[in-house]
Amino acid sequence: MNTMKLFLSLIISVVFFVNNTDAQKIFATRNGKVNFSAPSDEDVKAVNNEVTSRLADNGQMTFSLLMKGFKFKYAEMQEHFNDQYLESSKFPRADFKGTIVNLKEVNFSKDGSYKVSVKGDLTMHGVTKNITANGTLDIKAGKPVTACQFTVLMKDFKVDASSVTDKVSVDISCQYQ
Amino acid sequence: MKKWIKIALIVGAIVLIAGSITVFWLFNKPHRDVTKEQGVQLSAQKLYDAFRTNEAQANKQYLDKAIEMTGEVAEVITNQDGNIVVNFKTNDPLFVINCTFKTNPGQLKPGQLITFKGICTGYIPDANVVINEGVLVK
Repeated sequence: MNTMKLFLSLIISVVFFVNNTDAQKIFATRNGKVNFSAPSDEDVKAVNNEVTSRLADNGQMTFSLLMKGFKFKYAEMQEHFNDQYLESSKFPRADFKGTIVNLKEVNFSKDGSYKVSVKGDLTMHGVTKNITANGTLDIKAGKPVTACQFTVLMKDFKVDASSVTDKVSVDISCQYQ
Repeated sequence: MKKWIKIALIVGAIVLIAGSITVFWLFNKPHRDVTKEQGVQLSAQKLYDAFRTNEAQANKQYLDKAIEMTGEVAEVITNQDGNIVVNFKTNDPLFVINCTFKTNPGQLKPGQLITFKGICTGYIPDANVVINEGVLVK
């Protein structure tokens, strides 16, 4: 009888778990935009328009982008960025996985503009580092639009680009479906 | 003129010329033009299969290469910078080949079979393979 009870409670918990995940809403984009620029040199800037991101209404957020997808104004800089500084063939991707810290202040079912703080792990150039970034989450016609800026120090990710810059400011903008 | 001054002048001139060429090249080297490259020909499904089964191997084969890929259009969207993006179907409904055009390909519709040529930038697991800087072949 005890096994029966255990079995039943297991089934019930599985059903509940499935129901819970079903209730969760996930928004996604494959074409989010990430810009970065070096504050010390206006020519050092690049854009990536193929950022895959998912945002769930439980506050979980992921971003993935391909280093070779960064487009620079100058082809030679793009080459240096990939071959010397970020070693993009060895580390083709950058990933972020985090959560919205102040989720309580966001209402996904109500249009509006919400200030959010996101905390999580950024992995780039083979190094993972915990970061916190502040930004905005707008709900427009039920769909989230996010924008956020933060600074990345080259030494935090073991990127030796000292001849160019020691930090870049990163700008993220995503429109989710 | 003393010999060492001559040598110093020559070395100085060489450094100056080399420096100018480097700087000139830094700002004037053209971007890759995929239309002038011979692309690796394959189907969207085959590209997806290659990355799903062995990412490291597929990176060696396709990363940074010109890819001439044929497949069925799943959806057509415009990115935030106004470029046309086509997602190609694979047999996995959640997975596409995400292709960005550098020039406007004109009217494209879901269901259409097209060939696209661009540069493969890599693979994002559970989401897509990305090709950008592309053009419509047919």
